[in-house]
Amino acid sequence: MEDSIGGSSSNDNNIIKEQDRLLPIANVGRLMKQILPQNAKISKEAKETMQECVSEFISFVTSEASEKCRKERRKTVNGDDICWALATLGFDDYAEPMRRKSRTKIQEASTNQNDLC
Amino acid sequence: MVMADEEENGVSIQLEFPKGRVKKIMALDKDVKRVSSEALFLVSRSTELFLQFLAEKSAQVAIEKKRKTVNLEHIRVAVKRHQPTRDFLLDELPPPSQAAKPDKPTQPAGRPKLDPAPRGTRCIDQFFRKPEPENTAQAPGQPPENPAQAQSPENPDQDQAQSPVPVDES
Repeated sequence: MEDSIGGSSSNDNNIIKEQDRLLPIANVGRLMKQILPQNAKISKEAKETMQECVSEFISFVTSEASEKCRKERRKTVNGDDICWALATLGFDDYAEPMRRKSRTKIQEASTNQNDLC
Repeated sequence: MVMADEEENGVSIQLEFPKGRVKKIMALDKDVKRVSSEALFLVSRSTELFLQFLAEKSAQVAIEKKRKTVNLEHIRVAVKRHQPTRDFLLDELPPPSQAAKPDKPTQPAGRPKLDPAPRGTRCIDQFFRKPEPENTAQAPGQPPENPAQAQSPENPDQDQAQSPVPVDES
């Protein structure tokens, strides 16, 4: 299944809303709380900064993956492109489990097809 | 909003971030035309892992500095310590001058506040004044104690009238 991403914006003059550019602060705060020690606190400034950081991470990985697609003359960014981008950018420890997951998914899909035949 | 998405060993993995929002952030890149659902899932999941990693490292910095509250400076140190993160994120963080709040409020623009001059110090405008007429009552061997305050008794406002520069005593 592919998700088509259009370039159209909700605003006429193509201004991106702040909340569309960032992930929800509640989700960011909740994830941080899970990691931090029980008695630790997080300043509002830290949450907002972390919001910016994760959005920047998404853009960074997406940009690298889409560049690979552009060079290979493909229109769809797929899972392998994301894994490749993560590894290229130095996040190998994320990429390897992801790649394993992708392989498992492909194997499961082929098994299901064989069962149908 | 927590979303159940993929299955691994029969257990569904909960995604912390809404897919729609992740897709919107990915769509900010004009080169991105289409994204597979698998790619979207992997981006969401890796973003969670990245956030957890950065939060953990920031918490370590806070503990090192004996602080209970994680703040922007702790995140900055955590980013600096990890090379791949530093490469793309260090420039995005607000500069330390903005982040660190000064203890004392800075002085408003204008004339700097000067310390009052010690007693007996002569002001510069004394140089431009007319020399005082010699006091006849004064003994010839003794100069006046404070020439700045030696005024003629008949015209006490003479000094103020002749000083061209107003003196700011405060």
